[in-house]
Amino acid sequence: MTGIAWAAVAVFTVAYVLIATEKIHRVAAALGGAAVMFLIGATDAEAAFFSAESGIDWNVIFLLVGMMLIVAVLKRTGAFEYVAVWASKRARGRPFRVMVLLVLITAVASAALDNVTTVLLIAPVTFLVCERLGVPAVPFLIAEAMASNIGGTSTLVGDPPNIIIASRGGLTYNDFLVHLAPFVALLLLVFLGLCRVLFRSAFRYDPDRAAQIAALREGDAIRDRRLLVLGLAVLGAVTAAFVLHTTLHLEPAVVAMLGGLLLLALSRLDAGEISRDVEWPTLVFFAGLFIMVGSLVNTGVVEQISRAAIDATADRLQPATMVLLWGSAALSAIVDNIPYVATMSPVVADLVHAQGGTGQSRVLWWALALGADLGGNATAVGASANVVILGLAERAGQRISFWQFTRYGLVVTLVTVGLAVPYLWLRYFALA
Amino acid sequence: MRARDLAVPFPTIRLGAPVLAAARLLAGHNLPGLIVVDERGCPVTVLPGTQVLRLVIPTYCREDPTLARMIDEPSADLFLRGAEGRTVADLLPPGRPEPPVVEPEATVLEIAAVMAQKRSPLVAVADRGGPMTGGITLDGLLDRMLGTA
Repeated sequence: MTGIAWAAVAVFTVAYVLIATEKIHRVAAALGGAAVMFLIGATDAEAAFFSAESGIDWNVIFLLVGMMLIVAVLKRTGAFEYVAVWASKRARGRPFRVMVLLVLITAVASAALDNVTTVLLIAPVTFLVCERLGVPAVPFLIAEAMASNIGGTSTLVGDPPNIIIASRGGLTYNDFLVHLAPFVALLLLVFLGLCRVLFRSAFRYDPDRAAQIAALREGDAIRDRRLLVLGLAVLGAVTAAFVLHTTLHLEPAVVAMLGGLLLLALSRLDAGEISRDVEWPTLVFFAGLFIMVGSLVNTGVVEQISRAAIDATADRLQPATMVLLWGSAALSAIVDNIPYVATMSPVVADLVHAQGGTGQSRVLWWALALGADLGGNATAVGASANVVILGLAERAGQRISFWQFTRYGLVVTLVTVGLAVPYLWLRYFALA
Repeated sequence: MRARDLAVPFPTIRLGAPVLAAARLLAGHNLPGLIVVDERGCPVTVLPGTQVLRLVIPTYCREDPTLARMIDEPSADLFLRGAEGRTVADLLPPGRPEPPVVEPEATVLEIAAVMAQKRSPLVAVADRGGPMTGGITLDGLLDRMLGTA
C-alpha cells in the first residue's frame, strides 16, 4: 500500500475509535476525519461529491431527508398515541398483552419509519400506560427498543444500515420484503415468547389499575383529522411507490423526497418548524462517513481488503455468509451499526461481485443486514434506538443501566442471530 | 439607584425542601420564581416558576403534550401528586447555571444586564460569596425605573 493509503487507514482508525468511544461528538469525529482525508490527498472534491463509488451516497442522504420530513408531519397527527392507547385498552390492562401489542406496534412502525422516531413516539405512551397499570416501564421500554431493531430489519427504509446496503447493493424495497420481512415476522413471534420469559416479573395484573387504562381518551389525541388522513395517504403512496419500483422506475430517494415535500406543502404546517425536526446532524454524520470510506476506496485500501476476503472465501460462500453474519452481529454490538455497514458495504459489494453478482451470492447482503441490524440489540450502545430509550428512561427517573439492557440484549441477539443461521442456510444453500 | 435600594426581603428555599413546598411558596407569594439557597443562606441558583411546573408534571407529558389531552379530568387534577417525595434538588438540571446575583452596589443597568443575560425574572442581592440580603424581581425593577410603583 502507498503512504497515502496508510495515512488514510490511520485517519479512519482514529475517527472510528473516537466515534465508538464517544470521546467527541460523532458528527465532529466523522467530519474531522473527512476533512483530514481531503488535507492528506486521500480524496478530492470530484471524488467526494460526485463519485458514485467513493463519494457521498446522495441516495441515502435524500432518502433519509424525505422520510424525516414525512415523520415530522406524521408525529404531529397524534396517530401513534391514538393507536398505542387504543391497543392498551383492547388488551384490557393485562400487562403481557399490553407488551405484545406495544411491541407489535413498534415493530410495524419501525418497518415503515425510522427506529429512533418510533421509540421516541412509543416511549412516552409507555410511561403513561405503565404508570396507570402500576407496573415498571423499564421492561416495556427495553422490549420496544429491541422490537424497533427487529422490525426495522424487514424493510429498506426500516433501519439506516438497510438504506446503505440497498444503495450499495442495488437492492430494491421488494428485495427486502421478499428476503427479510417473512423471517423478521418469525423473529417477532420468537421475540414475544422471549419477552414472556425474560420480563415475567413485570406482568402483575391489578383489576383496579386496569380500569384506569379504560379511562384514557385516545380519541382526544387526534386534533387535526385532515392532517392525519393526509399523512397516512402520503405514507401509503410512498410505500406503494417503493413496492412498484420496477414499474415506476423511481429511485427510493426520489420517492421519499417527493412524498416528504408533497406532505409538507399540503400540510399547511410551518416549513421552518418542520425542517427543524429533520436530523441534520445525522445527515452530516453520514456525509462525513461516506467521504472517509470513499477515501479508503480511492487509496486502494478497500480493494486490498476485498482481494484478501475474496481469496479467503473463494468457493466458500456458505462459511463466508456465516462469518459475515456473526462478525457483523458482534461488531454491531460494540460499535454503532451505521459506520460499520458504511465501511463494510464496499467490501461486501466486491465479494458479491466476485461470486457472480446475482442470485445466491446476494446472500452476503442479507447476512450483513441481519447481522448488523439484529446485532444492534446486544448491548445498550449497539443501536441508536437503544441509546434513545436509555436517555428517555433516565429523564423519567427510571434509569436503565448498560448491563441491565445488555443482559437481556445478549440473549435476544444470540437467539435471533442464531435463528438466522438455519434461515440463511436453508433458503440460500440447502433449498436453493 | 443601587441594588441595595431596590432589594426587598425575598422568600428563599433550600435544596432539600420538598417540591410541593416550593410550589406553595410560589403560589402563596405570587412569585415569578424562587431563589434557592444553601445551608449558609448563600444563593445557589434561581428556579423560575415555569421550571417548577415543568418538572412536577409527568415526564411523558413533557415529552409528548398530546398525552396530557388523553388523561381523564379526575386524574389530570391530581398531577401534582407526582411531585410527592421529590426535593428542590431533584428539580435542578445537572450542571446548574450560576445564580443571577448582584452586589448591593450594582446599578439598575447592571441588574437589568444580569437579568437579561441569565434570562431570569429575578436576581439575588448578596455580597460576593456572602449570604443573600434580598431579591429584586423584574416587576420591581421596571416599576422603580418607570416610576409606576
